[in-house]
Amino acid sequence: MVPKTIDTVVIGAGHNGLIAAAALAKAGRAVVVLERAERAGGILRGSQPAPGFRAPGLVHTVGRLRPSVVKDLRLERFGYSTIAPAVRMHAPMPDGSAITFWGDAARTAEELRSRSVHDADAFVGFDQKVRAIASFLAYVQVAIPPDPKSPSFADAIMGLKLGKAFRDLGAKTGREAVRALPMAVADLVQEVFELEPVRGPLCTRGVLYTAMGAWATGTAQVLLNDSAGTDGGAAGTAVFARGGTDALADALVAAANARGVQIRTEHDVVAIRTRAERVAGVTLADGSEVDVPLVVSTADPKRTMRLLDPVEVGPTMHRRGENIRQPGATARVNFALGDVPAFHGGDPERLAGRIVIGPSIDDVERAMDAVKYGRVSEEPVLEATIPSLTDPSLAPEGKHVMSVVFQAAPLGLRDGDWADQREHVGEIAIKTLERYAPGFGELVEVCEVVTPLDMEERYALTGGHIQHAEPGLDQFFAWRPMLGEARYRFLFDGLYLAGSGAHPGGGISGGPGTNAVRKILKDL
Amino acid sequence: MAKRYDAIVIGGGHNGLVNAAYLARSGLKVLVLERRHILGGATLTEEIVPGFRFSVFSYVVSLLRPEIIRELQLPKHGLEILPLDGTITPLDDDYLWRVNDHGKTIRELRRWSLNDAEAYEEYGPLMAEMGRFIKPILSLPPPDPAKLSPGEWLPLTPLAKQFRDLPRRLQTTFIQLMTMSAADFLDQWFETEPLKATMSASGIIGTFQGPRSPGTAYVLLHHYMGEIDGAFRAWGIPRGGTGAIAYAIAGAALAAGAEIRTEAPVARIRTQGGRATGVVLESGEEIEANVVMSSLDSRWTFIKLLDDSVLDPSFKREVLRYKYRGSSGKVNLALDGLPELACKPGTGEWLRGAISFSPSLDYIEHAYDDAKYGRPSARPYIDMIIPTLVDPSMAPPGDHVMSCFVQYAPYHLADGELWDDAKREAFGQNVIDTIEERFPDIRRHIVGHQFVTPKDIEDITGLSEGNIFQGELSLEQLFFNRPVPGWSRYRTPVRDLWMCGSATHPGGGIMGAPGRISALEYLKERRKGRRAA
Repeated sequence: MVPKTIDTVVIGAGHNGLIAAAALAKAGRAVVVLERAERAGGILRGSQPAPGFRAPGLVHTVGRLRPSVVKDLRLERFGYSTIAPAVRMHAPMPDGSAITFWGDAARTAEELRSRSVHDADAFVGFDQKVRAIASFLAYVQVAIPPDPKSPSFADAIMGLKLGKAFRDLGAKTGREAVRALPMAVADLVQEVFELEPVRGPLCTRGVLYTAMGAWATGTAQVLLNDSAGTDGGAAGTAVFARGGTDALADALVAAANARGVQIRTEHDVVAIRTRAERVAGVTLADGSEVDVPLVVSTADPKRTMRLLDPVEVGPTMHRRGENIRQPGATARVNFALGDVPAFHGGDPERLAGRIVIGPSIDDVERAMDAVKYGRVSEEPVLEATIPSLTDPSLAPEGKHVMSVVFQAAPLGLRDGDWADQREHVGEIAIKTLERYAPGFGELVEVCEVVTPLDMEERYALTGGHIQHAEPGLDQFFAWRPMLGEARYRFLFDGLYLAGSGAHPGGGISGGPGTNAVRKILKDL
Repeated sequence: MAKRYDAIVIGGGHNGLVNAAYLARSGLKVLVLERRHILGGATLTEEIVPGFRFSVFSYVVSLLRPEIIRELQLPKHGLEILPLDGTITPLDDDYLWRVNDHGKTIRELRRWSLNDAEAYEEYGPLMAEMGRFIKPILSLPPPDPAKLSPGEWLPLTPLAKQFRDLPRRLQTTFIQLMTMSAADFLDQWFETEPLKATMSASGIIGTFQGPRSPGTAYVLLHHYMGEIDGAFRAWGIPRGGTGAIAYAIAGAALAAGAEIRTEAPVARIRTQGGRATGVVLESGEEIEANVVMSSLDSRWTFIKLLDDSVLDPSFKREVLRYKYRGSSGKVNLALDGLPELACKPGTGEWLRGAISFSPSLDYIEHAYDDAKYGRPSARPYIDMIIPTLVDPSMAPPGDHVMSCFVQYAPYHLADGELWDDAKREAFGQNVIDTIEERFPDIRRHIVGHQFVTPKDIEDITGLSEGNIFQGELSLEQLFFNRPVPGWSRYRTPVRDLWMCGSATHPGGGIMGAPGRISALEYLKERRKGRRAA
């Protein structure tokens, strides 16, 4: 039952939904969050691959969560704390060597020196460049995108702020930012570094959770945005929630509750009702209706649009909405392990961050080629974490839980279907890891695969895309998810989009939820 | 005693000649220096096989700016463009044939898909509208985004206003064209594979990208900006091959008083106190000028022709990291008769247009995959024309010339291998094998051939890494980043050294716009300088 006094519905109890709900409640709204799953938390909700093992949700690090969100919601009071190991990325190579990327660029450079003086020298400069451009992108991420159709006064102010942030970069870095943003990540790293073992792992940062290859225009922007506002630099972040991503979900739920937000799980919204160009309420799967003047959807944009009456949406807009690109190409694999895997060059300190398998640009590109032909990569790009190394509570004593992001595994398979490819993904992951951590297979007690189809069905991610919409340059800033609908108000008055399909996009940042609420409160 | 000119133009390709013509027309004493014995650069007609004249490199024309044709009165100097009608995509036992007769094309498309026939009616006008919208950008010197001063952006304000006033539908299309892959863009419209593949092919020509690479939709538009006699998206061939364009422009330049010297390779650009003062030829001859205009690409201009000490190290780094990566080759065949398509026997009008080897997106994408990993495509994309069907003067009576643009042929081969005679031969034979799949009798007709690899393009024309656009047309190398970030306005850090080739905005193709805009910019600055003095 949803109480009659409610005036705001938030669809989806993922991190953006909870963050938006809490912020709206703080502003005096009476908010209910309607979640179709059994538990709140969205993609933060993890699993138990085996008794005593707790694996993270669809993502395994939380380094992008905005500090302002942590502060505003007082998440620490609700049990949220983070673990940030000194290591960011460990990249084992097929030849038995490895390269470790530390949070400290100078330390990374120092270790690189024995392999290439050139790359050691270049690394610090590259790190600075990434930080400088990312500092500008951090401004872009908090901005409410302008609409080129109606440049209002507020837009002009925003323009000035961004303009100033851009000018502050200086002419040289400014030009470099303009040049770098539309680049392919492979070009971004290839022109700076000479060693493939340095280039490859950095490239993976531009393709993870996307369907793009290293040579795709716009992937440099994915890497740069990942470093915006996170102190990521060239190597990116590796920040874990103590107690796993579930602990962050729990903290967000508690913080929302504390603000008076009501959360209703197993409440599946099947329709958003409109009347005379305005939102009128939502209809649930059991046929009950909730009448509210404000609906905030954190479902992906296509799903949100499909909840509306297509006649009301109109054929042109409907066609545009259906053309939003959501090519999910990521699978997740969780392992219950008997011991720490023996990755090349990896002592436990080096394995405490992200472990990346993507030894060269060509390897990254080849792995992503599979998307184009609708098949699972036989030699995938992998990003693994072993959260139990820094948080022993996540696995039985002496044992470990390992979480792997697997690419590419496109939702749309040309041959076969996901029922018979599920096991295959696990096998490929083990076979691949065996090459970089000999004996890996013998450590595996349980292997759990989350396919892109699972993501679509279980997490209601259309296309199986974790980021709700591909983060390409064609779905960016003022045209994410589409031009004219990027200012959070979505298709109808009173309906807002506050999930990863809106600017600034996917990842556990809380950016869309926070920005959307700012816009809602301005509009009210 | 060194000779002295107002301006020296390095390179006798179409842009160099356009630049010289405009400078000479306004009364400057201009000298064009061409390395080879023949003018044209990559806009070249040469008799490679006796009696057969090949458009060795570029082979069709559409982008040549109408204002250049008008202002330089090129028809008076012998330019005649013959229309090229339609494109046929041969398949195993069928074909897709589009022609300039709209009704006929729609009927053909209906045979494939009713949806596509309907979408095609919308698509053409939309792209034409986009072409009209973007056209002003082609004749505009780009601003420097890092300066953000009103002066830099002023020329863009009408454009921004124009964008704001576009219907939402067109705004969306514009953004998509700037950012999407050709395949994704076309997927929104069409479902017929050979149609999507053939259309997407114009998004990849001359680039090192596949139809599914984001950014290729822009190249699609770049090729839609062409117009012949005011008709958008019309392709033609010049009578006498593309070299005839170069000679018509040269004619205009000579008529305006310019001097043109062939076999006059420039060894270096002379500088004094940070400004260019002239050139030294390989023969040792020195020639002085008030300004040196280079129509070469930035690598050749700055790295080969300038003294290292003149360049700021960070500028030099920018030049060195500019991407070329030639991706295409040519196969020119001399034939003693017309070959026949297996899927459409006979020698009818379908052979008079372009013949596109692009049966599916996967076919082209696989071709790109090969190149990505450093190999020529096993089954390449080929864009073929038989110019003698439109202009019989190119071959002896009854004989024919077949011009095949081939992609992909990467300049950089896997494992650091280099192009050599054996590899060129293997490349060419593989192309003929591919042609033979569609034209089974092709080998019977071949009486001579020319195989052109990207290395050959570099060696013959001087285009670095054989890139036909003097630098890849990727998003980060367009507009204000072309040819070097911060130096997009035809000037260079060396005073009185200017750039005027495809390396500069708005880029390559037989467009001539860089040559013209750079000349007008220089003349403007010269007038300003005079007034100040």
